[in-house]
Amino acid sequence: MWKLKTDKCVLRSWLCLSPSLLIIGLIIVFPMIYTAYISLTNMNIYNWFDFEIIGLVNYGRALLVFDSGFLHALSVTFLWTAANMILQLVIAFVMASLLNVGKLRLRRVYKTILMFPWAMPGYVSILLWRNGMFNSQFGLLNQWLDRLGFDPVRWLADDVTAFISCLAVNLWLALPFMIMIIDGALQSVDKSYYESALIDGAGWFDRSVKLTIPAIRPIIGPAVIITLFTTFKQFDVIYLLTQQVGAKTGANIHTVLTYTYETAFVTSNYGYSSAISMCIFALLMGLTLLVKTKQRRRNA
Amino acid sequence: MRKKIERTGLVLLNLFFIAVCFGALVPILYAFSVSLNASNSILGSDFSFIPRQFTFANYRAVIIEQPVLLWFRNTVILAVSSVAISLLVAIPAAYSLSRFRFVGRLKIVGGLVLLHSFPAILSMFAIYRLLSPIGLVNTKAGIVLIYIGTMAMFGVLNLKGYFDSVPLEIEEAASIDGANTRQTVTTILLPLAKPTIIVTGIMVLIFVWNEYIYAITFMTGARNYTLAAGLYSLQATEMSGSWPVFASASIVVSLPILVIFFMTQKHMQSGLTAGGVKG
Amino acid sequence: MKRKIIAGFMAFLLLAVLAACDSAGTTPSVPDAPDAPDAVELIIWHDKEDAVAAELQAELDKLNPEIIVSLEKKHGLTEALKMSGNDPRAAPDMYFFAHDKLGVYAEMGLLAPVTDFVDAVTLDGFLPMTISAATYKGEVYQLPIYFETLLFMYNRAFMSDEDVPATTEDLYAYMQEVTKDGFYGFLEQHSEAYFSAGWIHGFGGEMISSDGVPQLNSEKTIAALNYHLKFVRLMIGESDYATTNTLFREGMAASTIGGPWLVPAVREAGIDLGLSEMPVVNETGLPLAPFSGVQGLHVLKVAADNADKNAAIGKVLNQLCNTDIGVSMAQASGSAPAFEECYELDTVQGDDMVMLMRKVAEDAVPMPSIPEMDVMWNAVNNMLVDVNMRRVDVEEAANKAQARAEELIAAMR
Repeated sequence: MWKLKTDKCVLRSWLCLSPSLLIIGLIIVFPMIYTAYISLTNMNIYNWFDFEIIGLVNYGRALLVFDSGFLHALSVTFLWTAANMILQLVIAFVMASLLNVGKLRLRRVYKTILMFPWAMPGYVSILLWRNGMFNSQFGLLNQWLDRLGFDPVRWLADDVTAFISCLAVNLWLALPFMIMIIDGALQSVDKSYYESALIDGAGWFDRSVKLTIPAIRPIIGPAVIITLFTTFKQFDVIYLLTQQVGAKTGANIHTVLTYTYETAFVTSNYGYSSAISMCIFALLMGLTLLVKTKQRRRNA
Repeated sequence: MRKKIERTGLVLLNLFFIAVCFGALVPILYAFSVSLNASNSILGSDFSFIPRQFTFANYRAVIIEQPVLLWFRNTVILAVSSVAISLLVAIPAAYSLSRFRFVGRLKIVGGLVLLHSFPAILSMFAIYRLLSPIGLVNTKAGIVLIYIGTMAMFGVLNLKGYFDSVPLEIEEAASIDGANTRQTVTTILLPLAKPTIIVTGIMVLIFVWNEYIYAITFMTGARNYTLAAGLYSLQATEMSGSWPVFASASIVVSLPILVIFFMTQKHMQSGLTAGGVKG
Repeated sequence: MKRKIIAGFMAFLLLAVLAACDSAGTTPSVPDAPDAPDAVELIIWHDKEDAVAAELQAELDKLNPEIIVSLEKKHGLTEALKMSGNDPRAAPDMYFFAHDKLGVYAEMGLLAPVTDFVDAVTLDGFLPMTISAATYKGEVYQLPIYFETLLFMYNRAFMSDEDVPATTEDLYAYMQEVTKDGFYGFLEQHSEAYFSAGWIHGFGGEMISSDGVPQLNSEKTIAALNYHLKFVRLMIGESDYATTNTLFREGMAASTIGGPWLVPAVREAGIDLGLSEMPVVNETGLPLAPFSGVQGLHVLKVAADNADKNAAIGKVLNQLCNTDIGVSMAQASGSAPAFEECYELDTVQGDDMVMLMRKVAEDAVPMPSIPEMDVMWNAVNNMLVDVNMRRVDVEEAANKAQARAEELIAAMR
C-alpha cells in the first residue's frame, strides 16, 4: 500500500510551504497584527508619531458605531452577498456547461469575449457603467427607454433600482472569473457528464445535480469561498456607483465597509478605525466558524 | 433524428452565445464606439454603435501623448515576475498540503481561508511600515512582493483543490515504476494540472494588470506607473473631461489580456482526459 | 527536493535583481551629475497638470547645477504624505498642493514653517489673503504661488454678455425660461460641498467656524439650502463632475459654475466661453461666494531638519518669490498669481481671466485649513444629498448633518 506520506515528510512539507507562508505572513498577517496593535493606541492626527497605548478605549467607542445605521448596512451586505453568490454560481455553471457542449466550434471565441469585462480595471468599467449606461440623460439605458416611449429612469437614485444596478454591474464584473473557474473544473470530470447537455435537457439537469456538481465541488470550493468573502467586503462597485465623494447619486445603500468608511475611516483616526476593522474581522470570522460547525454537525 | 435535434440545438446554442456575448459587450462596445467617434460626443439620443465619422485620433492621443509604452513595459515586468513567483511558491505549497499528512495541515488550510475575512482597507499603512525599513517603497520588487502576497492564498488553495481531485493511484503507479516524488510531480501531476495552473496564473496576471491602488500608493512619478495606475491618474486629472480619450485608453489597456487569454485557451482543454479518472 | 530549494533561491534572486534594477531606475531622472559633486537633490511632489508642473520645473532648473530639483507627480498625494511624511527614505522634501490640508499636516507634525527660509519682508510681497490662508496657528506653512476659485461660466451661443444674470432671481427667471427637453439654463454640481459652498456663503453662513465648530443647522445655512432647492429642481438629477461638465461642454447647458481647470477643455470643444462674476443673492445682497484654494509649496520637516538640504530649500523658496514664476504658473493653470507685484505687469492686467479670478477671489472664502474641515466635506455632502436628492425636510437634514459633523470631529481625537 502506497500510503499517504506521513511523519517522515514533515520537514519536507514545511520546507515546501515556507515560501508561501513567509510571503502571506508578511503581506497579510503582519498588517493584521499591526492593525490590532494600532487599535490599542491613540494614533490620530494629533498624536501621529507620539501615539501611546491606551488600552481598549477605541473598542468602547467602536461599539457606538454599531448603531441602527450599521445594522441596516449589515443586512444590506447579507442580501448583497447572498444574491450575488446564488446568481453567480447558477449563471456561471449553466454558461460553463453550455460552453463545453462537444461540437461547439466557436467556444474559444465566446470564452474570450466573455472574459472582456474582467480584462478591464474595475474602476474603468464602473465609470463606463455609471456614465455610459446609467446616466439619466445620455446613458444608453435611458436612450433605449426613450426610443420605446418610456420616461427616463434615474437608475442610481432610488434605493431599490440602485441596488439592482450595483448587483448587475458586480455580476458583470465577477461572472468571467466564476465561469473560468467552473469551466476549468469541468475539464477535470468525465466529459460524458455534461457533454450531451443539448440532447437531453432534463437528464442533463439530473446528472448535473447528482454527478457533475458533487464532482466539481472540491475543485471550485476555494474559489467560491474566496469570492464569498470578496463579495462581502466588496467596496468599489457600490462606492463608485452611488457613494463616491462628489458624485453621490442619492441612493442610501451601504455595505458594512462603505458605511464604516464614511463613519470612521474619514476621520484619519487610525486607532479608532483599526478597532472597527478588528471588530468587522471578528464578526466575519465568527460567522465563518458558525457556518463551519453547523456544516460539520450536519455531516456527522 | 438525434442528429437533427443536435444540429438545431447547436444553431440555437450559437445564437444564444452570440446574444450573450453582445449583451456582455454592450458597455465595451459603447466605449469602443465613443473612442472611434470623431465628433467628440457621447451625447444625443441617437447614439449608434457604429460611429458616423471615424477617427483614430483618440488612440493616437493615448499612445503618443502619454507614456503608455513605458507603463506597458512596467506592467509586463510586474505581471511576469508576479505570475512566475506566485506559481513557483504556490505549487510546492499546494502539493504538500494536498499530499502530505502532517500536524497543523488542516489548521493551515482553515487559516488560509479565514485570512480572507480581514478587511484590508487599513493594510496599506501596515505594509508601508513593513516595506519602508527594507527600502522597498517605490521599487518594483516591493510591489511584486505585495502582489504575490495578496494572491498567494488564492493560488495555494486553488491548486490544492485541484491536486486533491487527482487520485493517488496515478502517482502510486509511477512510484512503483521507480520514479521519485520530484519525477512524479513534474512528469505526471503538473501536466495533468495544466488547466488549473493556467487559471491560477491568469488570475494573478489579471489582478496585477488591473491593480492600481497599491501601484499609486507605493510608486511615485508617472514613469513608474503601471497601465492601470497611469490610466487612473489620467482620468482623475487631464482626461476627466475627455471621454473619447478615456474610452480608447481603456480599450488599449484591456487588449493584451484578451490576446493572452485567447492564446492560452487551447492549453486549458487538456488536463485529465475523459475517463482517465472517474469520480 | 533540490529543485524546490533551487526554485526558492531563484525567486529570491529574481527579487534581488528586481530590487537592484529598481534602485538604479528610480533615483531621480536627473543623473548624479559627476561634474557637480556638491549638487543637492531635492524632490517635490505635486498632482498638477503637466503644463503647470513644467513651468515650475523650468524656473527651478535655473538653480542647476548647484541644486537639482525633480518634480514627481504623485497621485493620492494627501494619503501618501500621511504614510511617508516623516520617513526620510520615502518622503519628498517639499510638496506643491492647495492650502486646505496644511492644518492636518501641521497638526501631525510633518511641516516646517516657510518663515524659517523666507524673511518677513519677502512674504509681505504676497497678497494678504494668500498668506492668511497659508497660516495655521500663527505659523505660515505654505509659500503661495497662485490661487483659484470658481467662476460663473456661460456659453455665448445661448447667453449674451448682457444677459448674464446679475442676481440669483435673474438667474432663476432665465432657468425657468430656457430649461426644457434636456437643455438646462444653469447647471452645477448641486449636491457637492465644494460647489454648493457658494450658496451657503451667499447667505452669510459657513460650514465650520474658525475655531472648529460646525455651523450646519444655523439659520443662515438652512435659509441657503431652502433657497438653493428651487434652483436644483431645474437641474439634472446627477451632481457629478462628469455629467455637469459634459452637458456644458456639449452645449446642453447655457451656464455653469466651474474652476479654471475647466476652461481649456471647454474652449477645445469649440464653445465661445464667457466668464463672469457670481450673481448676487437678492435676499442678502451678497454674491455667491465659492471657496478659494491657494496653491503653493510646503516644506516637510524631515527635509528641513536635514543639514545638507536646509540651505537648498531656502534657495528654492526664494527663487519662487518673483513675478516671473507667479505669472507663468498662473497662466498655465488659468489662475491668479499670489505675488502682488505681478498685478503691475501689463501681461497680467491685460489678462481678463486672471483679473476676474482675483476679483471673485476677494469675495470668495478660502477653504478652512483647520483639521476639523477634513471631515466636514463628508457631513455636508450627505446633507446636500438628503436635501436635494432625497427630498428630506431641510431642517431635519441640517440637524442630522450637524450631529454627524460633531460626531466625526469628536471621533478624530
